[in-house]
Amino acid sequence: MVATEEDLVAPPAERPARTWPWLVAGVLIVLVLGSVARFLEDTIPAAAKGTSLEKFAAAVEYPIYAITLGLIGNVIVYYSGLRERIADAVRTEFFIKTGLVLLGASINLSLIVKAAGPAILQAVLLISSVFLITWYLGGLLGLDEKLRALLSAAVSICGVSAAIAAAGAVRAKREQLAYAASLVIIFALPSIFILPWLADVFGLSPAVAGAWIGGNIDTTAAVTAAGAIAGEQTLQIATIVKATQNALIGIVAVALTAYFAFKVEKDADAQRPGLRQLWDRFPKFVLGFIAASAIGTWYAGTVSAAEAKAHIGVVNDLRTWFLILAFVSIGLQLRVSALREAGWRPVAVFGGATLANLAIGLGLASILFAGFTV
Amino acid sequence: MSDPTPPQTAAEAPTVARTQRFALNEDWLATAVGLLLVALVLTGVIPTGLVP
Repeated sequence: MVATEEDLVAPPAERPARTWPWLVAGVLIVLVLGSVARFLEDTIPAAAKGTSLEKFAAAVEYPIYAITLGLIGNVIVYYSGLRERIADAVRTEFFIKTGLVLLGASINLSLIVKAAGPAILQAVLLISSVFLITWYLGGLLGLDEKLRALLSAAVSICGVSAAIAAAGAVRAKREQLAYAASLVIIFALPSIFILPWLADVFGLSPAVAGAWIGGNIDTTAAVTAAGAIAGEQTLQIATIVKATQNALIGIVAVALTAYFAFKVEKDADAQRPGLRQLWDRFPKFVLGFIAASAIGTWYAGTVSAAEAKAHIGVVNDLRTWFLILAFVSIGLQLRVSALREAGWRPVAVFGGATLANLAIGLGLASILFAGFTV
Repeated sequence: MSDPTPPQTAAEAPTVARTQRFALNEDWLATAVGLLLVALVLTGVIPTGLVP
């Protein structure tokens, strides 16, 4: 069985055996919780119609049901001793990436092309400024160099995936990666609800709100959840902006590899990282997202509008299912134990960097996506 | 600059590397599954009304 992020939290020596029956049981648990979330999303707004809760029920979208059920499931599997056994079935990254490839089919390729310019510019400015601010804060509070690199990559690019890439680049310890991943998820959860609410309070357009959400929230799954809460147009822009940031993981990872090899560890025999390493670090699902968009755009041009709408509607239903499974998995994966061991300084660095990210991201999104229409 | 981090044990380093490799494989798997599902829907193999 392959190692997962879970292994970083629970090393093989400390966790119970995972076998195929447990994998099947885990998949069933995720599916059942996802089905309940889908059921609640369908039935609660209808049941609340005509009552004082009608507006509130209509505003609660599927990510909220899915994450809440995942958190409840997390408590149950933790106290029943099942959490480590079913960990192989909790595939947040796979579910979210598949969901995003499916999302690509409903986005016209021309929108991706149109948004690419401002999205790339925002990503480069935001990543470099937030990375340097986090790096500076980490130095100010005396964090270990490798943890500094992990937190800087995680908060500036895209959470857990960036932390994994950075961990490989700087040869971080397993505990440091587990810790960075836990911080990312704990900070991302409240932002799923806070950012769409703030976007509404500030009266941001769907494009600016999407660019802000996509540029700010650390994990791709949480970006998708916040975008889904804010609306379809916001979700599309948020996804394009986040995918652009994801695509820059490789550049940061290669730069970190070189920095640690030549400056920190002063390894005279270290080889300069090249194009091969850039390709290895590139998130391949972004290619699937663009390919699905191209296929969807071509298909919409070859059949009637009604037929295209019906078929893309089915793809969107499948997308919702994968995203629900991803959000359930977020709830199931949440662990606070790693945070208790590392003390307050990394939390302060991450918190400070997150606030800087929010402010710079809002400024950049407001300038670069002003007047942008979806 | 001295690095205060103690060197990794043999058990630690491969764990991060394996996780990285797996994340990359997961990318290709998600791409393949997503595009396959899109193809199945657009060719009518997965009909409208089948997905709840």
